[in-house]
Amino acid sequence: MEKLASATAPETTAPVAEDALEEDALLEEDLLVEDVSIDGMCGVY
Amino acid sequence: MSAVPLVEHFAHGLDAPICLTWELTYACNLACRHCLSSSGRRDPAELSTAEAKAVIDELERMQVFYVNIGGGEPTIRPDFWELVDHATAHHVGVKFSTNGVRITPDVAASLAASARGYGGVPQSGYVDVQISLDGATAEVNDAVRGTGSFATAVQAMENLAAAGFVGFKLSVVCTRHNLPQVEAFKAMADRYGAQLRLTRLRPSGRGADVWDELHPTAAQQRELYDWLLAHGEGVLTGDSFFHLAGYGESLPGLNLCGAGRVVCLIDPVGDVYACPFAIHDAFRAGNVRGPGGFAAVWRESELFRSLRGPQSGGACAACSAYDACRGGCMAAKFFTGLPLDGPDPECVMGHGERQLAKVEPGSAPRPSLDHSRGVPITLQRRRPERACDEHPLTAAAMVSG
Amino acid sequence: MSVLEKAWALAPQVSVRSEPFGALLYHFGTRRLSFLKDRRLLAVVEGLGEAPTARQACLAAGVEPGELRAYERALARLAETDMVRERAG
Repeated sequence: MEKLASATAPETTAPVAEDALEEDALLEEDLLVEDVSIDGMCGVY
Repeated sequence: MSAVPLVEHFAHGLDAPICLTWELTYACNLACRHCLSSSGRRDPAELSTAEAKAVIDELERMQVFYVNIGGGEPTIRPDFWELVDHATAHHVGVKFSTNGVRITPDVAASLAASARGYGGVPQSGYVDVQISLDGATAEVNDAVRGTGSFATAVQAMENLAAAGFVGFKLSVVCTRHNLPQVEAFKAMADRYGAQLRLTRLRPSGRGADVWDELHPTAAQQRELYDWLLAHGEGVLTGDSFFHLAGYGESLPGLNLCGAGRVVCLIDPVGDVYACPFAIHDAFRAGNVRGPGGFAAVWRESELFRSLRGPQSGGACAACSAYDACRGGCMAAKFFTGLPLDGPDPECVMGHGERQLAKVEPGSAPRPSLDHSRGVPITLQRRRPERACDEHPLTAAAMVSG
Repeated sequence: MSVLEKAWALAPQVSVRSEPFGALLYHFGTRRLSFLKDRRLLAVVEGLGEAPTARQACLAAGVEPGELRAYERALARLAETDMVRERAG
């Protein structure tokens, strides 16, 4: 089984970010906004 | 400018929960076999209306976005609607979980009216409803939740749909017997204009007694995972199946245990626990009746500090799936007698099954509280059986160094 | 017209909470959480509703002209996720 997310953090980018394969992809890390959906987190209704 | 990803802030704990679960009462009109809170009878020491409002006021000050209100059956508390109104008037959203017993046409109409109002008016009250159901047929459902409970839930959903409340939640605890009905649940949610939510059965509360009988088989877990990947868009998994991430692709969401870091539980007597599946002295962080209220417990309790520190994977760290599954659910491990620094009982790699075989029968910790009907009030609180039951996190830290 | 020249406002279903590391926005409709990594971005977002344009909200929040591009991209993302909406202006 292949290694999954890096040791520091599981994948957190929202589907919108995952679509960004154009030149902005390199700049994603500098984006001042990060989106998550918290539905996958335990305890969230 | 911070370059730290949000999930790392989550892992280290926030100054206030994003949301939290609040069990308002241990009283319940039902006696579901798998009840995570062992509910049935009110506890004599439950928070008063004034105390509950004080908690809400604190949550407002801390800017908690919303509370997930449950129980027992929260709507049978006489002050339930008063508390909901107080929350929404004080910028705390309310999502409440119910078996539907009090969702009459009038109640449904009033909920729908407030939901419509929210869309257009900034900062007005936000209320969402979640109907609990564990079978797409009365036969499957009532075997777990009791005779008549299917009919009650369906009536509530019909009332909500008729009142125009679009998007309420239909919440299902996945079991061996209802997983074959997952398509039927989806159809039911669609029929009533609701959103399906699937949650994981934990061996918590009365769930410990039915875990062997009801928890999904390994094959069913795999099927559920595949189904969620293929058809799960729009299906909530709020309680998290992040332990399934070990199969490969992570399911959408944070895939993180937020207990004590981003969420927690406040129980009917004001005790604060790491999560609703961990109602045991070992996971009790404090009580809202203490001098610093809820905020002091959230920010300063030893238990939460230890959860917010770096977590070594222990025995799991060497596994290729660990980065995805993070060792699974601590409540599931605790109540099956497994060490916290080892595999989840339902580990998709099979490591948990192997470890379970080594657990001495009858040695797993029992829930500290039991409000089931038929249990005398004097026995509602159970003392821990062994000293090491009290400090599983410390024990885990010592083992993993 | 670019993001910066338009007038914006927080969507009504969004709740804002400041954090030491920036801010969190929760959208009750989409159930999404947005993390603002920069406290000036929080000030921009909070000032959007009153400012004639996003550019002016940025400048009022102390954003330097050379930094506007980053804030423009941030606002574009917030618009994509319905955290902010165009207003009549």
